[in-house]
Formats: sequence, structure tokens, C-alpha cells
Amino acid sequence: MATIRSATYLKDVVSMHISSHGQPAIDLATTVLGHPETGYKEIRTSAATAAAIRSLGLHVREDIAVTGMTATLQGGSPGPNIAILAELDALPVPGHPNADPETTAAHACAHHCQLGNMLATAIGLQAPGVLESLSGSVTLMVVPAEEYVEIEWRNEQRMAGRIEFLGGKPEFVRLGELDDVDICMMTHVTTEHPHEGFGVGGTNTGLVAKFIKYVGVKSHAGGAPHLGVNALNAAHMAIAGIHAQRETYRDEDMVRIHPIITRGGSVVNAVPDDVRMETFVRGASINAIRSANEKVDRALRAGALAVGATVEITTLPGYLPLAPDVNLTALHRANAEMLVGSDRVHEFGRRGGSTDMGDLTQLMPGIHPYVGGAVGRSNHAEDMIVDDYNLAVLDAGKAMAMTVVDLLSNGASEGMRVISEHNPAMTKDEYLILQRAFLSERSYTE
Amino acid sequence: MELNRIEVKAAVRRAIEGSADEIIRLARYIYEHPEPGFTEERTAKVVAEALTKAGVKPETGIAITGMKGLRTFNGQGPTVAVIGELDAVKAPGHPGADMTTGAAHACGHHSQLGALIGAAIGLGVPEAASTLSGRAAFIATPAEEFIDVEMRWGLRQAGRLGLLSGKQEMIRLGAFDDIDMAMMIHTSSSKSQRRFIVGGTSNAHVVHYVRFLGKAAHAGGAPHQGVNALQAAMLALSAINTQRETFEAENQTRVHGIITRGGVATNAVPAEVVYEGRVRGRTMAAVDKIAARVEDCYRAGALAMGASLEIVSIPGYLPLDNNKDFAKVFTENVVTEFGEDALTTQADTVNAGGSTDMGDLSQIMPALHPYVAAAEGTGHGIDYVIADYRRAVVDSAIAMALTVVDLLSDNAAEARGIIDSNKPSMTRSKYVQSQTDRLRKIEYRGG
Repeated sequence: MATIRSATYLKDVVSMHISSHGQPAIDLATTVLGHPETGYKEIRTSAATAAAIRSLGLHVREDIAVTGMTATLQGGSPGPNIAILAELDALPVPGHPNADPETTAAHACAHHCQLGNMLATAIGLQAPGVLESLSGSVTLMVVPAEEYVEIEWRNEQRMAGRIEFLGGKPEFVRLGELDDVDICMMTHVTTEHPHEGFGVGGTNTGLVAKFIKYVGVKSHAGGAPHLGVNALNAAHMAIAGIHAQRETYRDEDMVRIHPIITRGGSVVNAVPDDVRMETFVRGASINAIRSANEKVDRALRAGALAVGATVEITTLPGYLPLAPDVNLTALHRANAEMLVGSDRVHEFGRRGGSTDMGDLTQLMPGIHPYVGGAVGRSNHAEDMIVDDYNLAVLDAGKAMAMTVVDLLSNGASEGMRVISEHNPAMTKDEYLILQRAFLSERSYTE
Repeated sequence: MELNRIEVKAAVRRAIEGSADEIIRLARYIYEHPEPGFTEERTAKVVAEALTKAGVKPETGIAITGMKGLRTFNGQGPTVAVIGELDAVKAPGHPGADMTTGAAHACGHHSQLGALIGAAIGLGVPEAASTLSGRAAFIATPAEEFIDVEMRWGLRQAGRLGLLSGKQEMIRLGAFDDIDMAMMIHTSSSKSQRRFIVGGTSNAHVVHYVRFLGKAAHAGGAPHQGVNALQAAMLALSAINTQRETFEAENQTRVHGIITRGGVATNAVPAEVVYEGRVRGRTMAAVDKIAARVEDCYRAGALAMGASLEIVSIPGYLPLDNNKDFAKVFTENVVTEFGEDALTTQADTVNAGGSTDMGDLSQIMPALHPYVAAAEGTGHGIDYVIADYRRAVVDSAIAMALTVVDLLSDNAAEARGIIDSNKPSMTRSKYVQSQTDRLRKIEYRGG
């Protein structure tokens, strides 16, 4: 019979084990940094991650949601199942020093460090005597496609039936991979202060994603512009219409709308007849997103109406706002403070970005803390570089592993408390209904 | 005693030159008292008095401020109208601008009125009465500048106007029913031109009176409760600008407008924005096509913002079609009286881009709308003034009066020939019907 050890003792063991045995976690991160891949295309990243997990002696279930995988560490007795998540994907950032020259994909959001810190957590929990003292299990959950990019391509994958949701975690939820998960946790790297520590708490916006196609009429732009219908001007007017409504968004709703033009015409001397845009509509609440989305649709239709073009608007379910669990945040925060000192752990506020960890926090207690160790203007900028792998990989992994110990030691009493005190915003079925209701494909010729 | 035409013309010219100081003084007086269309009360009063003094007591109050006086000659024959326009444009900052209304004679209409009186005086000589056949009509028309659309729309709603420009309304009221041909001379500031410029055409147009209707709310405290009508209007104008590349050069499309109401307080979300605009082009068909696009642009502005919209599409002017035979009579007089170098002839296709309701008249009867190069500055600009009143007023009066002499001499043979050979594009009743039918009010809800 296993000895029951105190959480404090176990956390020391876990932490020291990561310090001494954590190099493979850093290696995984730096390896993945070298071959960045965008969402649902993370083939090499997935293989490297699976190999690293397998080398810990764990069985890996692969090919979940195209490139995702899970592996389980079983505790000594039954109890809650905690998912430690990591994201596989990079995003296109031309000009980033580690960008793929062909695809421009780069780890300018440092997901490679998440793979590392998840692996570090697993390494720590595999320290002698730890797992058998825990009640419950830990699922390493490696998900694709957190960055909601390449919308047109992903939408094609959706229409071809390869995926339903364009984000990896919603897809994992749909596939039932979260059905037996009780608590979810992931640590994200940030360039934000504090560089030497952790950021905890904080909220993120949710979003819907839109793919927009303006169909005009091609004609010689010099010789016969009167015979054309300029789809680029339609898009231009749509963007102007979106801007004109910004004053109607309440500060607290954190509405963010930031379109890009992914096709803007084929040749300069032909009136553009096929112009495509992608945008997010972000907001701090589902109602804020819905309301802003209606306004964006109006502006998009107005662009077409203004020039006499047709607009096809595809609205895709995106991510829900992040609502970190207060109890989990407190547990993780105490561990982070133990590691780097309380002056290096900061409470984050409302944030404008979005993550599909938000979806999971609507379903169960979850946290999405941040760790420093990176420099640059901001995440997603071409100068975003991880310069402290000890912090971003090892310390982040330690804080998570220690939090797992808090939750699952002592018969998982803390884990049970966290679960029982949490009121999930919705069930999985409600979640799927909500997300699917956002999907719409409409064409307007006014 | 049978007078020959040269003697008649000499008498007419003498009479006009003899009245030069008086008619220039009249023009200058009107310059100093500019009044915008359909409010030309003082202008109408002095013109009516001058016409009466010249022996042509006019019927007044036609189309609010318009008037028509007739001089009947001895023989039977057609009626030739000489026209002067009563109204000023608005040009705040113009040296002659009315401090209150901003109205200014930055289009030189005041000198037309001097010329009108001069022609009436000239054709009042006994030599004309005894030798000419038919009648000369002296018509002062209100509101050629198609401005103050909201005010005019209000007059229409009140039943005081049917069509919203002076000549249009006078045609509708039948004031031109007994007129067979019409002419007027407009001033020009063209530097390279000689004294008179004959020929050319003008743009057709349609007038838009547009109200963007949003919802007021505190602009700082609750902008999310408002619907910003000014943003809707801005987007509409931007949308119109995106269409400019589709305008064909040959069509000489012009789309332009002003915002007459843009909100009432900076700290309230603007709930009502009013735009008055024009769509011009060489043909009505082209104007209608562009106007439909422009209307969609207004709708797009409203749709983007979730605002509502009222568009009143008001029939504007038809293109000017100068009658060639009429022009020939006029140019012969210019050459005879002022010399070869006093005349510039333009091709029929020359179009400066503006519009005039003489265009409407020219579609229903032989009409002539030459220019007299007597001004300097930019038309409708603050620097547009008459540089040569003698030319603008006296020479114009002479040229028109002597043209009438030619038209109505010899039993009005010239006039009859021109009238008989002219093929108007529509009858007067058809004109009134089609212009009236073009008036449309469109409502649109953008969300």
C-alpha cells in the first residue's frame, strides 16, 4: 500500500524532479520552434510531441481532430481527471526570425513552450512516489489549431467533413474528448509584464469568425471601368461601415473587429471581381458578440449594396469568453508565488484576445494562466521571442504539476471542492447547440 | 411709310443705348439686393416696375415671383420670349452677398434682368411696332439655381409649387403655352472667349433631398443607444465616391451635394442628417442610371448604421438643345452689330457640366441660350463679378432685341420657319407629365 504523503512534500519532489529531469521538455519546445506549422497541419509537430510523450513510457492516442492526441497518467486511486493542455499550432507571421520561409508560420505565440511545459508537468508527476499518492488522473491533451487563422482553408476542410469546428478545442469537445475531464489547465506564454514571472486570472473575449466573399464584375480598369463592379470597393465600404459603428460598442463589451483582406483582386488593370475578407467579431460576452456581429453583417451587406455587388457571408462558430475558475486560480497562484516570489505574480485583467480555452471554462473549472519568458512588442508580432525557457517551460510546468498535486493529493479533496463549487455556464449539449447556431452562410444581392 | 429692316434695327439699338445708364443701374441695384429662388420679392418688384415703365406691364406672381409682359406688334404672328432670371445663388463671402442669406449674384443673373429691360425698351420703339408681326414676351423667371431644396420641398408640400425650378413651374402653370420660342443670354467669365459665345449644350440632372434618420443618445454617456445618422451620410458619400471610376467620361457625370443639417449638438448622436445632392449627366437616361446607383449608396449608408432613410428624387433639368436656325439669326446680328471678332461658335457637344432650366424649355420649343463674356472670376465663386456691365447688359439687350426684329420682320417669316422646322422632343403636356412623374419619394429602413 502506498504511503500517503503531504501535498507540500509531493510538490517539492515534483518541482525538483522537473529541475533535474526537465531537459527533454525544453528540447521538445526548441525542436518545435524550428518547424512551425499552422492549425490542422501540425504533422511534424504532432509526431515530435507524440514521440516525446511516448519516451515517458506513456501510451499516446493520436489523430484526434486531425493532429491532436491524448495520453493519461493514472494516479494511485480513483478521482477527478485533470486535463493539462498544450497547443500544437503556430500562426503566419512573415518576418519572424523563426518563420517557415514557405508558409511564414512562426511560433510567435509560443505554443511550442506549451508543449514543453505540459511535458515538464508530466515529467514532474512521474517523479518516484508521486502518482501513487494522487487520487485521480491527469490527461495530457495536445490540441491543434488554437489560432483561428486560414479561415478559408479551414472552412473548406469543414465543408469536406474533415472537421466541424475550426478551432481545435471545440473539435475536441465535439469528439467527446472532454467528456471525462473534470478540470482543465494550460499555461500560455506572454510578452506582457511580468517578464520574470506569471500572470494569473484575467478574462479573454469570445469571438465568431467570418469569411466574406464579394462578387463583382470584372472589366478593364482603364478601358471599361463602367462595365465593371468593383468588389474591392465593396470591401472598402464594408470596412468603413464597420469603423463607423465603433462608437456604439460599450467599453465593458470589449468588442474587437479587425478584418483582413485575403484576396484583393487579381491584376491591377482589371476591376476586382473577387475579393475575400476574414474577420473576427470579438466581445466579452455572448450577447456582445451577437450584437456586434449583427452590426458587422449590416456593414458587409452595405458594402455590396453601395457598389452593386453580391456578398457571401459565412459566419463560423468561434470561441467563447474565458472565465477562469477562482479556486483554481488561487491554487495555481500560490504555487507560482512559491516558485518565483509573490512580487512576480500579477493579477491580469480583461484581455482583448481570445482562446478556445474559453470554451472549456464555460463547461468546467479551468484556468489559463500566463508565464513570462518572452520579449517583443506583443504576442503575434514578428519580434516575439522566447528568451527564458527555464521559466516558460520548466517553471510553468512546475506550477501546473504542483497544482495537480494540490488537487489530487489527500484523496483529491481540493479537486472535489473546486468541482463542487464551480457552476458551469452550460452543458456540452448546450455548448454545441450555441456554437452551431452561430454558423450561417448567406448571400446578399440587395 | 415702309421702313426697311436696317432702319428698324437702328432705332431699336438707339433706344437701348439711350437707356444704357438706366438698365445698368437697374442691374447694379439688383446685384446689391440678391435674393435666392422663389424669394425674389424685391427683385421682382423692381423688374416689374421697369417693365411697366418700358410699356410692358407684366402679369406678376407667376410661380411665386415670376412675371410675363407682352408687347403686341401690328401684324399677326408668333410670340418670341426674351427671358431674364431673377434669382441669386448663395456664395457667402462674395462681395455682393447678402449678410443674412448669403445670397449673391455670383452667376450674373442681375445683368440678365438689365438686358431684359433693355430689350423691352428697344422693342418698344414705334418703328418696331409698325413693322413687326406677332408678339415679344418679356419673362422674368424665378429660381434657376436649384438650391434650398428643403425650402422648395416645403413649398410643394404646402401646395405652392408643383415643379421646383422657376421655368419648370412656369411651364407647368401654362405661362409658356402662348410662347413659341425663347431666348436669354447668360454671362460668362471665360477669358479666351470673344464677346458672345453661341452653341453648346448643358447637363441633365436630378435633384436629391435625402434625410438620414438615426436615433439620438448622449454621445459620451450612451453612444451604444444611438444610431448615428451622420455616419450613415458619411458612408453614403464615401460609397458614392467609390462609384466615380464607373462614370463614363463622355457622359460628363457630376455627383455632388451638401449637408444642410449634420446634427444638432456635438454631445448628442446625430439623429437627423439632411443632404441635398445632384446627379448630372449628358442624357436623362445616363442620369437615371447613375442616380439609381447613388440611391443605393444612400441605402448602403443607412444599412451599415441601421439607420432609416427618406430620399426625395426631384426632377431636375433637361439638356440644353440650342436651335440652330435661331442661333444663326442671333449670330448674324452679333457679327453685324459688333463685328466678326465678337463671336465664338461652339460645337453642339460642348458641355461645361452645369445645367439650366432653359434646357427644359429647349426640349419643348425653339430656344437659344448664348453667353456674353462679361464677367470675371469663377461661376458661383466668391470672385465672380461682372467686369463689363455695358457688354453684359447693353450689348446683350441689343443682340436679343435685334434678333427679335429679324424673327418677326416680313410677317415673321424667320420665326415661322424656325417654329415649323423645329422638332421638339416632347409636347408641353408630355413634358409636364413626365417631369411630374419623375418625382419620387423613397423610404428605406436599414435595420
